[in-house]
Parts: sequence; C-alpha cells; structure tokens
Amino acid sequence: MVLLTFRLKVKNAETGATVEMELDGDNTVDEVIESAATFWNKDMGAYVLRKGKKVLRGGSTLGDTGVMAEDVLELIPDPEGG
Amino acid sequence: MPGAIDQDPFDRSRRIGWLDLGSVFKSRVLMVGAGALGNEVGKCLALSGFRRVTVVDMDRVVGSNLNRCLFFTREDARAGSDKAEVVARGIEGLSPEARARAVVGRLEDLPDRFYEGFDVVLGCLDNIPARVHANSHAYHAGVPYIDGAMEGFLGKVTVCLPPDGACVQCGMNRTHSKVADMRFSCTGEGVVFHEPRLAAEITTTSVVSAVMVRECLKVVSGRTDMALRNTFYYDGQRNVAEEVEVPLDPRCPNHPPRVLQVSENNITSGSVQ
Repeated sequence: MVLLTFRLKVKNAETGATVEMELDGDNTVDEVIESAATFWNKDMGAYVLRKGKKVLRGGSTLGDTGVMAEDVLELIPDPEGG
Repeated sequence: MPGAIDQDPFDRSRRIGWLDLGSVFKSRVLMVGAGALGNEVGKCLALSGFRRVTVVDMDRVVGSNLNRCLFFTREDARAGSDKAEVVARGIEGLSPEARARAVVGRLEDLPDRFYEGFDVVLGCLDNIPARVHANSHAYHAGVPYIDGAMEGFLGKVTVCLPPDGACVQCGMNRTHSKVADMRFSCTGEGVVFHEPRLAAEITTTSVVSAVMVRECLKVVSGRTDMALRNTFYYDGQRNVAEEVEVPLDPRCPNHPPRVLQVSENNITSGSVQ
C-alpha cells in the first residue's frame, strides 16, 4: 500500500503559533500530538488534537481520520485539575 | 409586604418551564471529589434544590485550598478537616432540607455496585486515574456521569449518557496515559502517588461547576435532549467557550463492540463480551 506524504499545519491553541509538519497517512494522531508538544517545549501534560469541532482519536492514523493536505489541526491542553 | 411567593426559596426556579423541581428534590446525586470543583458544585447543588447528595473524598483541607473553596476555612486548614465532611456540612448549611452524606476514603475502595444507587454522578476530580475510574464505573452502572476539569483559566465539562455516546475515556490518548503513569512511581519501597500542583483559581472553577450543575438539572429533569452531548471547552483567558465533538472510540474498554444479530424476521444489535 502506498502512503502519500503530505503537509499540514498544527496550531498551538495557547499561543496561536503554527508549525508545518510533513507526515504520512500512517502517522498516528498520538504521534502528531507528541511531536507538536515537543516542538513547543510544552509542559508534561495531556493534550488533544482537533480538526474543526471534532477531537481526533489518539490511536487513529491520519489516513483513518480523513485529514487532508493543508488542513490546520489545533493542539489544545486537556485540563486535569479539579 | 412580601406575599407567599416571596417566601418560597424556589419561586424563581419554578418559573423555568422545563425544570422538574420534584425530580431535583428527590434525585440521588453522587459527587466524587470535594476540592475546588466539589465546593462550587456543592454550593450550586444545594441552592438548586438537590437534597440527597453523597460526597466522596479521601483528602484533608490545607491552606492552599482556601483561594477557591467556599466551604473551607482557615480553621479547617489548621485542623486538617476531612474535605468530604466539610463540604457535606456546607451543603446542609445552605439548604436545611438537604441530607448530605460524607464518605471519607478512596474512590477505588468504594464497592463496585456503589454507583448503582445514584441517579447522576458528578466528577470533581483532580487526576486522570480517578477520572477514568469514576467514568467507567458510572458508565457500566448506566448512570449519567458529568465530569469537570480545569487548569488555570482553562475548563472543560463532559457529559456521558450511557448506554449511548462517547465517554470521558474516549477522548483520551497517549498523553493522558503518560500523565497517569507519571502520577504513580515505584520508589523501590513502594508505589508513590505524585500530586502535581496545578494552576487554579476561583473564577474558572465557578464557570465549570455552574455548567456541571446546569447539565445535572437537565439530566434529572428528563431533558437530556438539551444536555451537552460532547465536551464543553472554556478558555477564560480569551473568554471563549465552545462545544467540541468527541467521537465514541470503538477501542475504548467501556464500549464493547456491537454486532448485528440477523435472524429470519428481524435485525437486532447486541454486544460482544
């Protein structure tokens, strides 16, 4: 199976900054979250990635989620405290 | 001179057409966690007319709780009072008709079928493992679970209505697992639970707890059609709030895969155990 490489943008919800990533369709959402969090030196914590009004499942591949080239995904912190 | 309606504490609530105050008065609410969210949720429950509330928390009051906890006092911090006891007393103090029961102990030590005795569970917890525990037990007991979370000026409320739809765990990924693992570490002499000191303040606590109790009012009034079906995110720094869809994760352990059972005359669905 041929997996195409494509580019998409991930936006940091806390700062508004964006980073462009080159990814394959078999990259997972978990991998995108961790790469983006590392790139921005984010604190150890829980984050989710969303496309529009929908949270993307961590274990899903980008191919499964229907993410397309040039899409902008948003990395948002998932609060834990109470 | 004030008339009879001015003496009724719930007169203004009765003017909300869909609100079923009779159900609110008699519904059995389990509140897990009696920290900042627990204090504010307890306040809103009492003033909204909830009278049968059980509060569970293992922790004691400390001085750093006092910037966001209505019921805790400096004396409680000095004495190291049990949080669950103080919040239960606070609820009864605000509502003379309320009977609030405190359970001082770990969530994980509650009997497995404990959740079945309630109409709704409110999660006011401060860590992922406890949240996963409460979510799964409520889901398997078929009891609606309303989860609140916050950090700094960020807040989040998730409403789970079993047997339909996603649950809190469906929205978690590998970063949640890593954080949960980090909370427990082996020192060589035992397992230690690490409690991080997260940013917290009262205004975000108030917003999150108000949304939680408002959703609770909808659930017990039988108006789940109006309830959040996804997750409510609140960013108090930018004053933005929005509802974000969290799809059901078929790999989530709380949702056994469903298969179609085809018979000659009809098609029904069932679960694979």
